[in-house]
Amino acid sequence: MNPSRFNTLDAALASVPREVQPGHDLWPGVARIIGHGAQGVPQALWSRWPLALAASLGVLSLVGALCWSVVHERVTAELLAGRAPAGDMHSIAVSFQRPQDADYVAARTALERTFNERLAMLAPATRDRIRADLETIRKANADISSALAQDPASPLLWQLLRSTWQQEIDLYTTVAQTTRTMLTRRT
Amino acid sequence: MVDADFEALYREHLSRIYGLCLRLTGQPALAEDCTQECFIAAWRALPAFEGRSRLSTWLHRIAVNTVLTQRRRRPGDALREAGALDEAALEWPGSAEASGTLDVEAAMDRLPQGARDVLVLVGVYGHTHEEAAAMLGIATGTSKAQLHRARRLLAQQLGIAMEAA
Repeated sequence: MNPSRFNTLDAALASVPREVQPGHDLWPGVARIIGHGAQGVPQALWSRWPLALAASLGVLSLVGALCWSVVHERVTAELLAGRAPAGDMHSIAVSFQRPQDADYVAARTALERTFNERLAMLAPATRDRIRADLETIRKANADISSALAQDPASPLLWQLLRSTWQQEIDLYTTVAQTTRTMLTRRT
Repeated sequence: MVDADFEALYREHLSRIYGLCLRLTGQPALAEDCTQECFIAAWRALPAFEGRSRLSTWLHRIAVNTVLTQRRRRPGDALREAGALDEAALEWPGSAEASGTLDVEAAMDRLPQGARDVLVLVGVYGHTHEEAAAMLGIATGTSKAQLHRARRLLAQQLGIAMEAA
């Protein structure tokens, strides 16, 4: 046996330093990423995006399908009738890293205001269905947030959470775009 | 939390998180990557932190998760997967004499991965078996068995009688 300078294994383990300084300062790398949002995330962190996307689609596909079925018929009909401006079909891309981001908060506030104003223009049944969809999205958001509290490092959960934010924005956008054609017809 | 606050948190916990990642990976460069990813993940997860555990325990959980993710991402690559081979070598009667320069850290580094993980979390960083099991995604009984295995192998490597271990 190799003679040890330790009498007991516990003494040997106690000699292992718990704190070790890395060879260089890692903060600049961390700061660069948390300061620049999603664009700065290392490629490796996004390598599982297809998996996360598939999972998020699984969770939220029902909401998307319901919402789309409600509004798509109307928009398609408007387009076929040549009444909807082409610009209405352009999606509004809202990039955000966290819900506190100024860009996200500003975009969401504006869209939510328009959404609430325009919702009243829709038929009661459609309105109720969209509100139910929004509730489902918010419930999914709350559930995923709770799961994140238990597993805060899960990239999959973060992607799912981001998906719920995006789904909410998409719902607002879709309603705003759809009702815009109705406003155009009125004027 | 503003950037300055988070940097203070980073400074306070860096050496312990890096130490943990280093013990788990055995590779300084990889440990640095894991440490960076850990703090990035922590920054993103801060809004969801509910204070139900100590911040240091929460950070440790993120660090372990990051290391485990790296292992899944790079199987057989940068991380060692030679646990069975290591154990066979360790149990060869002459191995300790053949590696007389082994110190505690080098001996730990040669432990099979599962045993080393538990030894690092429980034996070095003082987590309970329940905490370690939760972090590693294993049963508490498995954690206890792995710790016993790790201590036996480590004692053998260091030439410490198991009775005293």
